[in-house]
Amino acid sequence: MRTSWHDIWGCGRGPVAGLSPQVRILSGAVLFAAVMVAPSTSAPGILTIGAAVVSWVAACRPSRRITLSFLLLGLAVFLPYFLLVPLIMADSSGPATGWTHALAAPWSVFLRGMAGMLISTATVTTLSASDLRRGLLDLPVPNIVSAILLQIVHQAGELTSETKRVGAAIAVRGGTGGWLAAMRLLSSLPRVWLPRVIVRAERVALAMEFRGYCDSDLRAFGRSAMTSADGVALALALGVLALAAVLRMRGAG
Amino acid sequence: MRDLALVFEETTVRYEPGGEPDIAGVSFSVAAGERAALVGLNGSGKTTLLLAAVGLVPHGGAIRVCGTPVTRRTAAEVREKTGFLFNIPEDQLLFPRVIEDAAFGLVRKGVGAEEAFAKAKQALDALGVGHLAESPLHHLSHGQKQRVALAGALVVDPPLLLLDEPSAGLDPPGRLVLAWLLSRLNAAMLVATHDLEFAARLCRRFVMLEQGRIVLDGADEAAVRGRWRLDGPA
Repeated sequence: MRTSWHDIWGCGRGPVAGLSPQVRILSGAVLFAAVMVAPSTSAPGILTIGAAVVSWVAACRPSRRITLSFLLLGLAVFLPYFLLVPLIMADSSGPATGWTHALAAPWSVFLRGMAGMLISTATVTTLSASDLRRGLLDLPVPNIVSAILLQIVHQAGELTSETKRVGAAIAVRGGTGGWLAAMRLLSSLPRVWLPRVIVRAERVALAMEFRGYCDSDLRAFGRSAMTSADGVALALALGVLALAAVLRMRGAG
Repeated sequence: MRDLALVFEETTVRYEPGGEPDIAGVSFSVAAGERAALVGLNGSGKTTLLLAAVGLVPHGGAIRVCGTPVTRRTAAEVREKTGFLFNIPEDQLLFPRVIEDAAFGLVRKGVGAEEAFAKAKQALDALGVGHLAESPLHHLSHGQKQRVALAGALVVDPPLLLLDEPSAGLDPPGRLVLAWLLSRLNAAMLVATHDLEFAARLCRRFVMLEQGRIVLDGADEAAVRGRWRLDGPA
């Protein structure tokens, strides 16, 4: 279930895709903050996080393949934290002991990590690269920061293609494919990929300098107007953040 | 006498301070509207010389673009007068959509977005890629990217074009079309290439670099072929 870097952008077909780009980014960021703030060990907190994730993913409606890919990636990244449970149990210097206490930290990392990853992915799927540019430029972010962020995203896509070519070359020259080729690619990154990235970064930097990319006001390409739907979406996201903050202040978790 | 679009006077470039020069005392000029091929084998210094011409590489001696000396202070002015096609088009395509990239030069000059997009579309049409205007750049083939990069360079109508291996990676029909398209332009051109067939279609003058030095400057393609022994053993 491989997902290309380029496939992720702009594949979401939910109502969020109809909002202004800056509101999509902002709402995604506010919901991300909400799931980080909400308490992760109480029922109201877990419900808030779960509801936020499910509603946002449903409203962004990314493709099933991408949702599943990132669910699997999240499980692979965050489940191993539960391996720490025996170590926490064995630690007698802490103030509390027992399974509940030992599970709290990995559970918190798992829940917040998965929620944050799914919200970020869903947000990204509602943004084409052009939307991202317009959205970032319409937010009160310094032009140079937006320009560099956009270039990182753009060049990351190119590097993904380059990585695929390196992977194909390794597979062909090593006569292998699939996971074995992937492992070889991983082990070759410092020797093969990194030097390429550095050389490429130098060339792109020259082109950026020549074209005056960083000292241009990219907002001149045009701005997006806000609509009432944008206001509603932003208010809802802020409402979830406020609820998460209240739950946390009440010490519910 | 015709105005000079590009002048190199005893131009020297050293990547390593104190080391052997990568470009050693190069002197020649390109007149307004003239098309000259800068030919040389890999590593002969073609790209370095082009980069020096727009102030992207520090140099000794003098370089002038349309009368403006190339210095750190004048780099922006020089670059406004120059269209540059980088060796690898992906490197200079900085925007996600074709039309945005092609229009960037105009937007940067203060032209309104709508007008800039219209002119960029014209430039793309002229190069045969107008139908790709709304496409994401990563969907394009190498040849299409090459043309989009060229459209971005041409849209501001620069008096000087510096083209680094413009025919690299193009199929034979693509090379023919590109040479034809470029030959219709009025801008002065310095075309760095080792594709002699392409150079001969486009240019009447060959400036040959070897190890950072000019070893030949003239209209005789056969002299270049002879130097590279392309005509086989005598």
